[in-house]
Amino acid sequence: MITSDVLIIGAGSVGVPLALYCAERGLSTVVLEKNASWGRGQNRAAIGGIRATHSDPAKIKISQESIRVVRALQEERNIDVEWRSGGYMFVAYDPEREKAFRDLLVIQKAAGLDIDWIGPDRVRELAPGIRADGLLGGTYSPGDGYASPLMVNSAFHRLAMQAGADFRFGENVLSMRTENDRIIAIKTDKGDYSAATVVNAAGADAAEIASMVDLEIPVHPDCHEAGVTEPVARFMEPMIVDIRPDHESGNYYFYQAETGQIVFCITPKPQAWGKDTDNTSGFLPLVLRRMIELYPRLRNIKVRRTWRGMYPMTPDGLPIVNRPRGLDNFMLAVGMCGQGFMLGPGLGRILAQTIADGAPAPADAHVFEELTLYRKFEGMEMLK
Amino acid sequence: MNRIIEHPVIDQGQAKPEVHFTFDGSPLTGFRGEAISSALFAAGIKKFSEHVKDGTPQGIFCANGQCSQCSLIVDGVLRKACVTLLRDGMDLRTVRGLPELPADDRPAASTRIRRIAAEVLIIGGGPSGLAAAAELAERGFSVVLADDKADLGGKLVLQTHKFFGSEEDCYAGTRGYDIAKILEKKVRAYPNVRILANSPVVGIYKDRAAGVYENYEHYLLVDFQALVVAAGARERSLVFPGNDLVGVYGAGAFQTLVNRDLVRAASKVFVIGSGNVGLIGSYHALQAGIQVAGICEILPKVNGYKVHADKIVRMGVPIYLNTTVLSVEGDGKVERVTIAVVDKDWNPLLDTARTFEVDTVLVATGLSPCDEFYRQAVSFGFTAVKAGDAEEIAEASSAMFGGKIAALALAKMLGRDVSIDQAWLDKREVLKSRPGDTVCRDEPVMGQTWKPVFFCNEEIPCNPCATVCPTHSILLSPRKGSLLDLPYFQGENCKGCSACVAACPGLAVSLVRLVDDVHAEVQIPFEFDASGYQAGQKLGLLDQDGGFVEEGELLKKFYNKKYRTWVLTFRMSAANSPKAIGVRIQPEEATRPLREPRFSYLPDEAIVCRCERVFVGEIVDYIKANNVRDVNQLKTIRVGMGACGSKTCSTLLPQIFRKAGVEPAAITPGSLRPLMLEAGMGDLVNEGYTEAAE
Repeated sequence: MITSDVLIIGAGSVGVPLALYCAERGLSTVVLEKNASWGRGQNRAAIGGIRATHSDPAKIKISQESIRVVRALQEERNIDVEWRSGGYMFVAYDPEREKAFRDLLVIQKAAGLDIDWIGPDRVRELAPGIRADGLLGGTYSPGDGYASPLMVNSAFHRLAMQAGADFRFGENVLSMRTENDRIIAIKTDKGDYSAATVVNAAGADAAEIASMVDLEIPVHPDCHEAGVTEPVARFMEPMIVDIRPDHESGNYYFYQAETGQIVFCITPKPQAWGKDTDNTSGFLPLVLRRMIELYPRLRNIKVRRTWRGMYPMTPDGLPIVNRPRGLDNFMLAVGMCGQGFMLGPGLGRILAQTIADGAPAPADAHVFEELTLYRKFEGMEMLK
Repeated sequence: MNRIIEHPVIDQGQAKPEVHFTFDGSPLTGFRGEAISSALFAAGIKKFSEHVKDGTPQGIFCANGQCSQCSLIVDGVLRKACVTLLRDGMDLRTVRGLPELPADDRPAASTRIRRIAAEVLIIGGGPSGLAAAAELAERGFSVVLADDKADLGGKLVLQTHKFFGSEEDCYAGTRGYDIAKILEKKVRAYPNVRILANSPVVGIYKDRAAGVYENYEHYLLVDFQALVVAAGARERSLVFPGNDLVGVYGAGAFQTLVNRDLVRAASKVFVIGSGNVGLIGSYHALQAGIQVAGICEILPKVNGYKVHADKIVRMGVPIYLNTTVLSVEGDGKVERVTIAVVDKDWNPLLDTARTFEVDTVLVATGLSPCDEFYRQAVSFGFTAVKAGDAEEIAEASSAMFGGKIAALALAKMLGRDVSIDQAWLDKREVLKSRPGDTVCRDEPVMGQTWKPVFFCNEEIPCNPCATVCPTHSILLSPRKGSLLDLPYFQGENCKGCSACVAACPGLAVSLVRLVDDVHAEVQIPFEFDASGYQAGQKLGLLDQDGGFVEEGELLKKFYNKKYRTWVLTFRMSAANSPKAIGVRIQPEEATRPLREPRFSYLPDEAIVCRCERVFVGEIVDYIKANNVRDVNQLKTIRVGMGACGSKTCSTLLPQIFRKAGVEPAAITPGSLRPLMLEAGMGDLVNEGYTEAAE
């Protein structure tokens, strides 16, 4: 039996930064991961955007922290994670969208976010060549940006190892045993563990892990495909998001990475539920038609690779972060709804502090309250 | 101009239309429809770009559309020079830094999804793919065959030598590119086969569809019920310092330039690897008027057919066994290569180093199957078979049989009542078998009448000499009872017609007769330009191993049109007559090393990932520092993240892991994802596509 202060199930977008911050706080930390290495679940499929400009205060709080953390990796720890403060730009081509964005600005500004409305000229300055016809403007948040999920997760893993975290790859959790409202044993296909705190950071497998302690959580993965192009010289700055749905897709978004590639993704309609992460033939025609209509000069850039990953969804598009009732040493950090990469670093820091101190810092308490498992799960976060 | 004007074997064909283009603003001419890389080589330009990472000059490596190293700016857009066809007025530019995306802001034209369906999709139109297509078409299946090259036939198109095997089964004795035409014609006759040439498959998808990059311009989705993966093989890269210099490239790439496009790609080459590709590549170099300084082979024996090796040696090319390449050096391009003998653990012995001055180093260290689509198809649960080199690296002759057999296996999987003839299975086994025993022949007994002398001692699947003999006097010995058996002459019935001499793919048959007690006449095959030779001229004759025999007097020369081979008749001494089989082509000076070796040995400074320029040392350090057990982790240092999608480096990684102290068996391989080749966004949605474009 291997015993530790913290045992994290899942070495992904959430688990790896959490392991770092736990280890840095002097907690003995074990991470169990079914894949052969870190970030091979949903992190590998993340496209890399990190924004604080959400519509929900808890997510705003967490991702503001994430931006600080990722910037610090690059600027203070001198680790190149390909971070760029390119900003996010939600573009409006119809009055309906313009109104929605402007209404939302009120909430976002109240939360202290650096975001504002910009006119068509400024949009085209930030994204030269974007379609002018019908362009009304958009919101722009220059403090947001993007980084390489691969580089970020790799950095967290390396730092966590150096801080003493014990990563165990290729290891499947088979069962968990509870006694007196505590998880007392975790059995894997390779060994037995116990820990003062057990964290479910299992992404798309979160519901299966929770069910091992008879806990039902509303996390169901759906699938999204994404792609990356060859690199070209920089010509655009922000992550561009077009939230207009059409008959076969929802929103789509793309940005030019620090290294020059365009990275892109689309929300299919209807949603593709399940865990099949093999590519399908419909993705490229679906997303590229819309991208070229919005940004014609992309016609000449070459697609290099595509992939399919999962969004572990909750019914309201918000994560679940809290201790479930009746399981005193279990912590849920699940249901990131496709935003684990942008939420993970900040969440890792907040969670590690909470675990180490036994309670969240007063400023963070609202995160756990809002993201409780016991909320009503109504509505859908607007900027999901 | 580095064009091959005269070639002893290849017809120039019809004159190709000349077009004008520019490279970095300088006006040049080339042929319409040839690969840009060939047009540039013909103009003496071998450096196409500077790597974005460090400005290193870049040129071709695979010349096969696989590796992306030859990319340059074509009319404003980055393209691979080896698969982009030259058009009049093209503006070609060296890539320096990241390419600019053209500010082509015209509104998007109409886009569309194009989709067709077929029962069977065949990926690859080489010998196995074509054979499979014919077999399936014959049984009434609707077939789509997609191939990434404009000319079908796969690598047969590059093969100017006569093929081994048997004439009745696989066109033995016929040259590769002629076989390609025969196979293509046969398939084109079936109305239920749709051929998409110049159109690579770039992805297969879980919904049982494949994406075809039609003419590298449009995107066509093909829905299929079953798949034949006959995508051939790609040349393996090799890790040695200087492996990234302009002028280091694959032997297959060289054959593409020289044999397909008739470009004199080099003035002097050194070849790494003595498999059939390296041996034949060397021979093709000589035929194209290019010198070959030598061939090195790390194994203690030649890896290809002995007849090929013999042929090369007696043209005057030394083969260095137990020898590896230490380094290739030069100022931005290949100027010299240094080789050294290895110890039993393959460590080079630096004091045995020899340096040769060459301008090109050909890597011929083997092929790896292009079986990615097959592996994906199986993981998706599709009905799929693989054939040819994608299944197992072997000769084209066995690939043809393999294609037929795979087609029948697929028909069976699709519910057809077919059985596979055991004779086919047996033949394929024989055709793909490694050489059997090497047999010592008895000293030939000469007489007043013509008799063949065989310089063919190694059992390989081959019988053209027996097939062509009009008096059926050449038989295969009954030793093994298969095509592997060696030929021998029986009876008194040789008419001296020289058909066997001209037909032998190994150039390993002579005809000899005694004219008096001390003189003999000898007919030997010759695949170089003999038009300048005059009767009465004395020429140095060589034995099987390249040793000098004596000067023979040329009596007459005869050009066998069918086999495109000269038969030269010499008068020489009766005593030496059974030994003569070759005429030396290359002067000894061409193969001499420098007096003193000249090299620096920095084994960690060899490129593994060509696209992203990642060196051995870097990878080994990263593996050790991060406890890497998953190839995907290496993406952090950009290994496999480039345009080629790790097609080139993935075969090298096991040895790199071993070097870092990790057994390759413990490694999780990198994941496979479409696209297999990059494709333009506008192309992928068929922007502006009209039916007329078809």
